[in-house]
Amino acid sequence: MARRKDLSIEFCGVKCENPFFLSSSPVGSNYDMCKKAFDEGWGGIVYKTVGYWIPNECSPRFDATRKEGAPFIGFKNMEMISDKPTEKNLEMMYQLKKNYPDKVLVASIMGENEEEWKKLSKAVTETGADIIECNFSCPQMTTSSMGSDVGTNMELVERYSKAVSSMTHLPVLAKMTPNITLMEVAARAAIKGGATGIAAINTIKSITEIDLENFTALPIVNGKSSISGYSGKAVKPIALRFIAQMANDPALKGIPISGIGGIETWQDALEFMLLGSKNIQVTTAIMQYGYRIVEDMISGLSYWMEEKGINSLDEIIGKALPNIIPADEIDRDFKVYPKYDHDKCVGCGRCYVSCYDGGHQAIKWDEDNRKPVLDEEKCVGCGLCWIVCPIENCVTPGERKFHSFGTPRDINVIAKKAL
Amino acid sequence: MEKKEKYLKEVEAPFTAITAMEEATRCLLCHDAPCSKGCPAGTDPGKFIRSIRFRNFKGAAETIRENNILGGVCARVCPYDKTCEEACSRTGIDKPIEIGRLQRFATDFEKATGFKVLDPVEATKEKVAIVGAGPAGLAVAAKLALKGYAVTIFEEKPEAGGVLTYGIVPSRLPQEVVNDEVQYIKDLGVNFVFNCKVGKDVTVDELKEQGFQAFFLGIGMQLPKVLDIPGSDLEGVTNAVEFLGTAKPSKGEVQVGQHVIVIGGGDVAMDSATTAKELGNRVTVLYRRSMLEMPANRKELKHVQDIGVHFIPEFNMIEILGENGKVCAVKGLGRDGESTIELKADMVIFSIGQEAEAVTEIADIAINDKKLVVVDENTCKTNVDGFFAAGDIVNGGKTVVEAVAAGKAAAEGIDQYLTALREMKATGAEVAVEKEGVK
Repeated sequence: MARRKDLSIEFCGVKCENPFFLSSSPVGSNYDMCKKAFDEGWGGIVYKTVGYWIPNECSPRFDATRKEGAPFIGFKNMEMISDKPTEKNLEMMYQLKKNYPDKVLVASIMGENEEEWKKLSKAVTETGADIIECNFSCPQMTTSSMGSDVGTNMELVERYSKAVSSMTHLPVLAKMTPNITLMEVAARAAIKGGATGIAAINTIKSITEIDLENFTALPIVNGKSSISGYSGKAVKPIALRFIAQMANDPALKGIPISGIGGIETWQDALEFMLLGSKNIQVTTAIMQYGYRIVEDMISGLSYWMEEKGINSLDEIIGKALPNIIPADEIDRDFKVYPKYDHDKCVGCGRCYVSCYDGGHQAIKWDEDNRKPVLDEEKCVGCGLCWIVCPIENCVTPGERKFHSFGTPRDINVIAKKAL
Repeated sequence: MEKKEKYLKEVEAPFTAITAMEEATRCLLCHDAPCSKGCPAGTDPGKFIRSIRFRNFKGAAETIRENNILGGVCARVCPYDKTCEEACSRTGIDKPIEIGRLQRFATDFEKATGFKVLDPVEATKEKVAIVGAGPAGLAVAAKLALKGYAVTIFEEKPEAGGVLTYGIVPSRLPQEVVNDEVQYIKDLGVNFVFNCKVGKDVTVDELKEQGFQAFFLGIGMQLPKVLDIPGSDLEGVTNAVEFLGTAKPSKGEVQVGQHVIVIGGGDVAMDSATTAKELGNRVTVLYRRSMLEMPANRKELKHVQDIGVHFIPEFNMIEILGENGKVCAVKGLGRDGESTIELKADMVIFSIGQEAEAVTEIADIAINDKKLVVVDENTCKTNVDGFFAAGDIVNGGKTVVEAVAAGKAAAEGIDQYLTALREMKATGAEVAVEKEGVK
């Protein structure tokens, strides 16, 4: 029998059976899709954004960034909010909540003006939804009165957050756009307006690639293309950065955050939680692999908690935050030399090539034995060699040496991340 | 699938652009690329795999083609497990990169896109005669044509390719691949004369009269070895040269028995077994030594086993039994000297190697006791001035890639020889002019 930990967590006062949610997107567009997602184990769903404004979508509308020889790592989409009639969406949300009372339903909404935001807030509250998410962040709306143009306007963020909160007793999330320099500022505006929490990040404005035959971007829609939202594993580092900055912002202390951006595995999800997200949302990985990926998120996270002796996710939320510090506070008193395991080494010389061409020419190549030899004089301890080494635990961080200006003391160096 | 279709269809699936890049991504892109030192013909897999990894498929094809005119052929018939792949560093992690299949991807890509790396060079230099259109001859011809020589290949058979066309089973090496590369060589300006045996249909003296100033002998090993045992003259006893040489050009129109015994354990024996199995019924390989000692390419051996050919190692065939003048069984004696075996048979294919034909019918070439031509290792020069040789006729029957490698060396040797001759003549002419002037 599979061992499962209790992954339940309270988010914005709502009990969630697990922290894994679908984000507002094509993956949660109708009743049947949401039903399947719930049945396969997702703890909650942010239903695809509902509005009175009905978009006219283009075809095709997606593109992906491929890494040679790997499944795609970045995904571009040109879709806007739900293209179904508002009433129909409200009815499906009502049915979902009725049939899945223990699952969490988040209603994502987007209005064109204050009046619409209010009306939508009231309407989705009546469906029985648990939380409302304000979509201030879709970067490819065909109208500038909606989407990320709103999310970058602090005055509108505050005003619309207020409008939505005024018409509901439900917790309200403000979904942030990353197409902004400081997300904390927009998040503060949302909270000031009455939002309960923050969801981040929405997609990043992008051009994924240029078609070399037609000299246009992809996807090509009748010879043309637009800048639009980028998501998937490639954006995870950017998402984590925004999450950490908001979570560390004194003005946002204790504000619940729903983490979004390139989550594929339980490990990705955990990283968001360690930086302060109480739950996480996924779309791109589902579009690529299907709802079933939640099985390994649940199982993987359970096993990790068991290994670490953790009984509740609350124990770990935000635990990495104290260790994210400004660059000027980083300890610069020592360097870490690489250690070469010559038994594991297959002699490819990648560490040598990278150190020469991208480092400090600190590795000598023993041509006869096909092995790297470190020149400690030249080594600055940058760690490029153990990052490029294709063998597990072959080149690893080894001996530490204090600079003449540094005071010798205990230092903690975590080895290169496994796998 | 129809038997003949199976026989003619290439067994190994090709890479697609995506799977090729996946495989190239497995490559560690070694600093010193041991694979590139592992190729007898000097192909640089380290470079062409890197090109595939970084999406430069034409660049990959260029690296292969500039070095080896038979790149598509070698991609299919090379013993990778003993050359580049054996040297692969990735083996230290899991398994070597599939270098052969990547080479095939690059050369297939070249063909599919109609891209041609090599442009013909105008033939302004001396006439060179190549005897034999096998791998060595083709390699010499292409290299010399690219250096501006006027090259003609004389081939006794009606088609070019030698063992590629008259030997290697099409499920491993489809004829189109051979034809395409032969066409490539034709496009480089090489002239082919078929059904013409030098020494018989045309003499060296006649060719000299036609202006040929250097000769390359790449006649291979044509004569099948046969065991001198009772019954070897029975109907149904044949040899690999004849059997494969009939099967491939006729696209499988060859008589195959229901109980075939193949004698031998080399690559040619594997080709015989595959052909007999794909076109016939029950096939057994009888080999005098152990499976481990079998010289056949491991991948090929595995394939032959996979298609259901039986192997009986450590048995020497000592007699072929007949009924009404036809084969009906074979008798074998175990390596232990005691065990005996008798197998039902209606066809026996000797695949125990080949011998050289008398090269002396062409010119007074020095040969050793194995009837192989004696040459200078670096230049492939024979004892007769202006005569060069390489390939099986020199090395006693090795791989296609080694024939290509030797052919390339011979082309350099011929170029040096003719260049020296040319310079000598020019100096001679100058001297003559000077002398004239003095007069």
